[in-house]
Amino acid sequence: MERVLFEQVGKQYGKLWALRAFSARFVPGETVSVIGPNGSGKTTMIKCLLGLVHATTGSIQVNGQRVGTDPAYRHQVGHMPQISRFPNELKIGQLINLMDDIRGSELARNDGPLMKELGVDRMMDKRLGTLSGGQRQKVSAVLAFRYAPSVLVLDEPTAGLDPVSAESLLAAVRDIKRTGCTVLITSHLMEEVEALADRIAYLQEGRLQFLLSPEEVIETTGHNRLSKAIPAMLTRNPKAHVESV
Amino acid sequence: MWKVYKYTLIDLARNKFVGGWLLLLLAISLGLFQLEDQPVKAMLSLSQVLLALVPLVASVFTIVYLYDATDFTELLAVQPLHRSKILGGQVMALGTALVLGALLGAGIPMMIFLPGGASATLLLACIMLTLVFTAIGALIAIRNREKARGVGLGLVVWFLFVLVYDAVLLWVMFAFSDYPIEPLIVPLAALDPIDLGRIMVMLKVDLAAMMGYSGAVYEKFFGSIRGILIALFALAAWVLLPAALAFRSFRRKDF
Repeated sequence: MERVLFEQVGKQYGKLWALRAFSARFVPGETVSVIGPNGSGKTTMIKCLLGLVHATTGSIQVNGQRVGTDPAYRHQVGHMPQISRFPNELKIGQLINLMDDIRGSELARNDGPLMKELGVDRMMDKRLGTLSGGQRQKVSAVLAFRYAPSVLVLDEPTAGLDPVSAESLLAAVRDIKRTGCTVLITSHLMEEVEALADRIAYLQEGRLQFLLSPEEVIETTGHNRLSKAIPAMLTRNPKAHVESV
Repeated sequence: MWKVYKYTLIDLARNKFVGGWLLLLLAISLGLFQLEDQPVKAMLSLSQVLLALVPLVASVFTIVYLYDATDFTELLAVQPLHRSKILGGQVMALGTALVLGALLGAGIPMMIFLPGGASATLLLACIMLTLVFTAIGALIAIRNREKARGVGLGLVVWFLFVLVYDAVLLWVMFAFSDYPIEPLIVPLAALDPIDLGRIMVMLKVDLAAMMGYSGAVYEKFFGSIRGILIALFALAAWVLLPAALAFRSFRRKDF
């Protein structure tokens, strides 16, 4: 059974269709890299899944629960945004307590390795307003992984992180994937895509151009690096590689 | 909702602006009571300041706070929470912080120098105006994506209510003085929450000269207690209407 199911999802802003008839199914335990140029619809697709944006057409299901007015499905979703900002005057510990209150503290992995590896456990009394961009990303990463999500959405997760923290985060992605979590990750870094992705979803002008494994992309184009294979892929007939839902 | 309320209130409790607002009110109130030889005169001066300043601060602070909290609101919106609970918690916390600022900053000096019904009525008017303009501020912040535009709109709305509307009302009264339009003034005055606050205070203080035209009409039509209750009821409607519109917009909002 699919973990996440998009059926003909479209989003229109005024006259502009940011996302057009997006259909895809993502299964448990797979990592999908959502890539594409700026303004291609990646963020809109993710926001539709998270319920931050209301789809104009189509429907989305997470574990069989329709994304709509009932927010209960978000118990199963973890999200790390590209840019994290929090209330300046709260401390990290207070923010985590708030999220524990909302999500249910029994799900919280208080001794999660990510919190220690990123050093967040040593900053619990720090005010959020005093954190650097990288430190805020670390807090955001901890919150995304903390409640044992079955769907994890990471938007440019390593942007702003130091190399050691970025590697810890990528290791955590590999670990959580082994538990059956479906991971959707947007990234502009091809090394990250190559290292993590079971499949690549390429969007352009709001349309899904292809949804294939890295091996399939490389095999189809004959290039041995994704950075060359993906542009080559787009010059072929990409629509043939979009799965039918 | 209470979880969001609690942590937003903790954030606001440490907010320098909220503390500054409390201290400013304290300084103005104590200063006026010290300067005037009669506490009633000081109270009247204070009421003019508060009835103008409270709506301005409530709306602009709410707008700025909600804009600055957009990313945090987005974080809350991806949690298993209904959107109404998120906005409800944030707006109630803003209302609580601003009301407490007014009660402690202006209320304590008033209760020390002029305890009684007039001070209590002014504080009640301040509380209601804080809630009204917090709700209006929330509506503006939710419906406008740009912070500068939102703040500008907040200032325009405040200026309209604090000055322009009463001037227009006065002009209407003069222009149609040959017609029996006094009954119309009561509902027309209810369209301006600041006017309603002023009417509440002046009916209690019983200084017809300070009432303004609409206040005088309210007293003539309803007498003081009934007039205050009606003004209070109209102010409650002024809280509920923009709040309901804000919740409706927030439920439909795309982040």
